[in-house]
Amino acid sequence: MADSGTRSSTVYHDAAKTLQGKITLDGVNVYYGPKQAIHDVSMVIPDRSVTAFIGPSGCGKSTILRTINRMNETIDIARTEGSIRIDGDEVNSKAVDPVILRARVGMVFQKPNPFPNSIYDNVAYGPRIHGLASGKRDLDAIVETSLKKAGLWDEVADRLDQPGTGLSGGQQQRLVIARAIAVSPEVILMDEPCSALDPIATAKIEELIDELRENYCIVIVTHSMAQAARVSQMTAFFHMGDLVEYGPTEDIFTNPHEPRTQDYITGRFG
Amino acid sequence: MPINALILLMMLVLISAAFYVGRSRALRSSGRGSVSLHSLPNYHGYFVALWTGVPALLLMAAMAVFGPSISESVIEMRLNQAAAPLAADLDAQLAGDSLIQSAQRTLDSSADVNAATQARAAIQSRRTAIADSIADTARESGASGLALAGFEYANLPPERRGLFINDARALAFNGQPSEITPAIEATASAFRPVDRIVRFGGAVLAILLAMAGLAWSRSRVKAGFRARNRVEAAFMGFLMFCSGIAILTTIGIVASLLFESLRFFEAINWRLDQFLFGTQWSPQTAIRAEQVGQTGAFGAVPLFAGTFMITIIAILVAGPIGLFAAIYLSEYAGKRTRKIVKPVMEILAGIPTVVYGFFALLTVGPAIRAAAQFVGFESAVTQSALSAGLVMGVMIIPFVSSLSDDVINAVPQTLRDGAYAMGATKSETVKQVILPAALPGIVGAFLLAVSRAVGETMIVVMAAGQGANLTANPLESVTTITVQIVMLLTGDQEFDSAKTLSAFALGLVLFIFTLALNVIALRVVQRYREKYE
Amino acid sequence: MNNRTDIQAAVEARLAKRYRAEGRFRMFGILAIMAAISVLILLIGSIASQSIPAFRVNELTLPVTLEAARVDPAGDGSEASLRRGSYNSLLQEALRAEFPEIEDRGQLRELFGLYTPLNSARLQNQVLANPGLVGQTIDFTFPISDDADLYLQGLTTASSEAAPGLVATPSGTSGEVRVFANSNVFSPIVADIRERLATQAEELEDRARRYENRAASAAGEEARISLTREAEQARTQSASLRSLAEPGSLSVDMSPELPSRLIRMNGGIVHIDRISDSGRTAEGRVLVALDNTEAGDDWTIWTLDTPQAERRITDAQIAWAETLRERGRVETGFNTYLFTNADSREPELAGVLGAVIGSALTMLVTMFLAVPIGVATAVYLEEFAPKNRLTGFIEVNINNLAAVPSIVFGLLGLAVFISLFGLPRSAPLVGGMVLALMTLPTVIISSRAALKAVPPSIREAALGVGASRLQTVVHHVLPLAAPGILTGSIIGLAQAMGETAPLLMIGMVAFVADAPSLSVGGLTEPATVMPVQIFLWSDGAERAFEPRTAAAILVLLALMIVFNAVAVFLRRRFERRW
Ligand SMILES: Nc1ncnc2c1ncn2[C@@H]1O[C@H](COP(=O)(O)OP(=O)(O)OP(=O)(O)O)[C@@H](O)[C@H]1O
Ligand SMILES: [Mg+2]
Repeated sequence: MADSGTRSSTVYHDAAKTLQGKITLDGVNVYYGPKQAIHDVSMVIPDRSVTAFIGPSGCGKSTILRTINRMNETIDIARTEGSIRIDGDEVNSKAVDPVILRARVGMVFQKPNPFPNSIYDNVAYGPRIHGLASGKRDLDAIVETSLKKAGLWDEVADRLDQPGTGLSGGQQQRLVIARAIAVSPEVILMDEPCSALDPIATAKIEELIDELRENYCIVIVTHSMAQAARVSQMTAFFHMGDLVEYGPTEDIFTNPHEPRTQDYITGRFG
Repeated sequence: MPINALILLMMLVLISAAFYVGRSRALRSSGRGSVSLHSLPNYHGYFVALWTGVPALLLMAAMAVFGPSISESVIEMRLNQAAAPLAADLDAQLAGDSLIQSAQRTLDSSADVNAATQARAAIQSRRTAIADSIADTARESGASGLALAGFEYANLPPERRGLFINDARALAFNGQPSEITPAIEATASAFRPVDRIVRFGGAVLAILLAMAGLAWSRSRVKAGFRARNRVEAAFMGFLMFCSGIAILTTIGIVASLLFESLRFFEAINWRLDQFLFGTQWSPQTAIRAEQVGQTGAFGAVPLFAGTFMITIIAILVAGPIGLFAAIYLSEYAGKRTRKIVKPVMEILAGIPTVVYGFFALLTVGPAIRAAAQFVGFESAVTQSALSAGLVMGVMIIPFVSSLSDDVINAVPQTLRDGAYAMGATKSETVKQVILPAALPGIVGAFLLAVSRAVGETMIVVMAAGQGANLTANPLESVTTITVQIVMLLTGDQEFDSAKTLSAFALGLVLFIFTLALNVIALRVVQRYREKYE
Repeated sequence: MNNRTDIQAAVEARLAKRYRAEGRFRMFGILAIMAAISVLILLIGSIASQSIPAFRVNELTLPVTLEAARVDPAGDGSEASLRRGSYNSLLQEALRAEFPEIEDRGQLRELFGLYTPLNSARLQNQVLANPGLVGQTIDFTFPISDDADLYLQGLTTASSEAAPGLVATPSGTSGEVRVFANSNVFSPIVADIRERLATQAEELEDRARRYENRAASAAGEEARISLTREAEQARTQSASLRSLAEPGSLSVDMSPELPSRLIRMNGGIVHIDRISDSGRTAEGRVLVALDNTEAGDDWTIWTLDTPQAERRITDAQIAWAETLRERGRVETGFNTYLFTNADSREPELAGVLGAVIGSALTMLVTMFLAVPIGVATAVYLEEFAPKNRLTGFIEVNINNLAAVPSIVFGLLGLAVFISLFGLPRSAPLVGGMVLALMTLPTVIISSRAALKAVPPSIREAALGVGASRLQTVVHHVLPLAAPGILTGSIIGLAQAMGETAPLLMIGMVAFVADAPSLSVGGLTEPATVMPVQIFLWSDGAERAFEPRTAAAILVLLALMIVFNAVAVFLRRRFERRW
């Protein structure tokens, strides 16, 4: 922990070279009540690419992810310090409305959580509440493109009015992704999106993530080293609330600087 | 009482003695033969104590419950016995009396209602006169007080006999009889020895039973005896019996309601259609007209309508308030607020319903009447459907709110997260995600609240009035199923009239309806729970 | 709409509206909670304020001479003889001694209306307890009648006194008298009376006009005739009122429909019946004798705003009650009767003691039945029962029993316990049995929850050292679950304590003037319980029962609060989390 200061200044050296920064975290600390869950994390997450957060369970991956769209605010005892900027706009300031922020930053959760109404209504939910569609036709178009982007259109086109909870787990997860991209967010946060899915569904989602990368800044939390290696361009390794190492995925997996990273990747703990 | 207390004390002594007897015998038998006991010595003690106490105590309980009726039937027997010669005399004289014979002929032959009534009255008065003269002669010739009392008793109309016996009992045991006549005094003095015998007999029997139990069970205590298993089996038997009481209660409810209702339906000539669909409810007139079935005085529709109206008003109050309160408490309020507000709202459910009734009668009712009159409804009354409904609504707020609260809390957090992450505000999340998800559970909660409102009694008895109006105006007084049950069964009543029996039919309707609501509600809620588990 | 700034703008454009909706929604929630809580406050507040008069009582203290000849007619001082004494006439005489001027029998009856003869029984008991009192004169204290009490508490009528400051002369000290004033001091009263008569007449004419209008538009012939008749009646009434109000007649009569006026002068009270048109002379009846007939300017006109016809206490009784108070014979004190007496037909003697004892007996029966049976059932179902059809049925059955309306349990009690088993009506024993059946599901459900909360590891540990299943439960599980079981049971009992409807069914509505004895024997004596007492009093004809009902409610609520506080305390004290 003593070296966290020096490390955080060195972690993102390569990132800035090839990719443009989208999200900047600066000295972020998160507390749950008296307990500190995140210690002084600083990093730059690039746009139009996939950044993977890895680390042992309980190290704070979800926590840091949830600071980016301020979902931590829904937890009474959570408290965030430090600066988080998206395109230079401070996220954590009082002036920023979490509602607007969350329209810019979509999120997909570990367990697919379609709302208890139809497939159509699920996807149309965001555009409706935010008033993004000017009419029924417009809304139909948004729903269709979103479902297409999420690679679900062909499977559900003929049963849009059926409950979203009636889909398979993998379909549900893609539905939820479609729901997230229906409001054209800039950032999509994914918290272990494949952990409840079988390998085939997982492959589909991974494919989808790879496609979405062209237009979005994607941050994904995963417990699968392989998945991180497959889908991400950048990887951050967290341990006990510290950002241990952050860099291009290739570097992290082939040539980690930190022994802890090395140990985790090779499966010696975690 | 002292004798009972004494017996109870003796029983206690016997039981503890039995325990030590069993225990020490067990210890001795193990000590002597070096065979180790199967069960701990204490269990042998329990075994013997159980055999000593349980049968005897059961007998004592039975005597306490049925003793009075035993002594009453003995007394009745003795009264009849003593009065037998006089009664025979009466029968003979009645049979030979020309007046009665002629009246009886009119009664048999005449179809005219008036003539029949007159004949019946004539027979009655003649009969009384003969009975009086027999009693007088008997008194002069020095017949025993008991015989006279028995004769008087036998000639009482059946519904007065209970009172006679009660008075005699009261007189015999320092109570307050409603009247004191020589006959009652004679019966009372006959009562005392009989009662003493019954009591002493019971007590002696109980003690003997206890001793027998002790002796027998003691003989069974041996080293290899499985006392623990016996004791545990007895205990299990007790537990199972207790569990059975819930079922017995249900059976009791169903049987008594059904049985009495059937008798009621019989009394109205099986015109169930008139009971369920008739619009005229006037059980009082039905008695006077002597034509229960035909008059259709037992049309329960006004009661159903009144119940329905008050329930609707109550739900209109409790539904929105309870639901919004639940939403606020589970989604908006901080921990501290919740911790204070929830118990405060629960108080509303803990307040006895008579208190609500009083509140409705003296505060809400007059206020509503004043308001209605101010607006121009001159005929508004204090006891109205509206005031009862409003107050009942307040009473069931906590039901709706705490049941809805449970249901809302059961909606998985991931759904909320999903909505928030889309940028939904709290109210949007609640309206579009949580409520649709929780809908079945909330419906269940409402159904339970409805069942509660339908079965509620005191508020409506005190605040809704008694007029069986078939009206849609909530400012008028209406009556409900429960109110009528209370009206029919309180005050002076003869147990077997169609009027009182109709209360059981109403009770049956009420029971079936609330049971159905409850079953459906529990099903719905259960399904809902399973979905999210 | 794919441009991100467009989206941003669109979202922002709707934001204010969405937040307004959010605010509204939140407001509804707050309003709902405030509504519920304010009704609660209103409920408690209104009952508490209504109960205040019940806690005070005005008591008369009179010197009563216990003449041996009348208290002890047989003269042997035996109990039987003392019981035949005529105590009420002693009380009557004592009261009459205060107002020796009253001769008229009607007036005497009015005077004796100031207390209830039931008080003579209390005097008798006092003498029976202490036969040495015979022949002595004692100060006997007893409550004044409920109507006088309400008046003295200022709840019957507003009253005001005005001193005209002019000289007036009474024509006598008792009987019918005239009071002459040297100026027209009574004119304002005359004017007031005329004004009231005029307004009443106007109201009647209004009504007549309404009836006429309705008659004009009435559909049926019959309705028209009856409405016209009503209108005519109103017109004649108003005409007679107008003629009464007409100035010029020789004198104006007071009537019971108008506020009463009395004159206090020379230590006595005169009730005004008539006033001369000049406003200088008032005629009336002396209620409290005047000391003399001297002229003076130290006198007052006393107005009672509520007309006599609208209250249950007469002007004369008010005058006497007020005089007794002035003489120090009536004193206001804390109403101990409310707590030391059982029910009574007379509000001033009615108390809750009988009902409290009845409740205690009933709750004892309920407790001894419901708690053991409920806990045993819970233990069986939770710890031993095989999961089969039968036990499943029992479970469903218990859940449904919990929702059966309480009145149905009353019907069960009536049909089974009373008709079938022949147990006595109105008895705490039967009441307790019915309530026990009703409470059983609550006790079972909460006990099962408490048993469920005991972690299986405890059971495994006990079974592991070779305890039998019963031993495990009795030695380890039950003690750990006891606080939860106790809490649930107490809450169930508190509920049962407030229950009324089932008890009405088994005849516990009887009027019971003696408190049942707190013993086993009391279980089969007729009794009533607190909530039923409240129900009975709320139906009482006398207005004085109203505050007493409210007070009884406070007593009941206090008892329930104690119960619940104990439950909360137990939960706090023994709560354990695994
Ligand atoms: N609502 C909460 N209240 C209190 N502590 C919390 C809360 N949520 C998380 N924590 C704590 O914060 C720390 C980080 O949790 P977080 O959920 O971010 O871990 P994670 O890396 O996502 O783990 P996993 O891989 O298991 O999802 C943990 O120690 C956890 O116990
Ligand atoms: Mg996580």
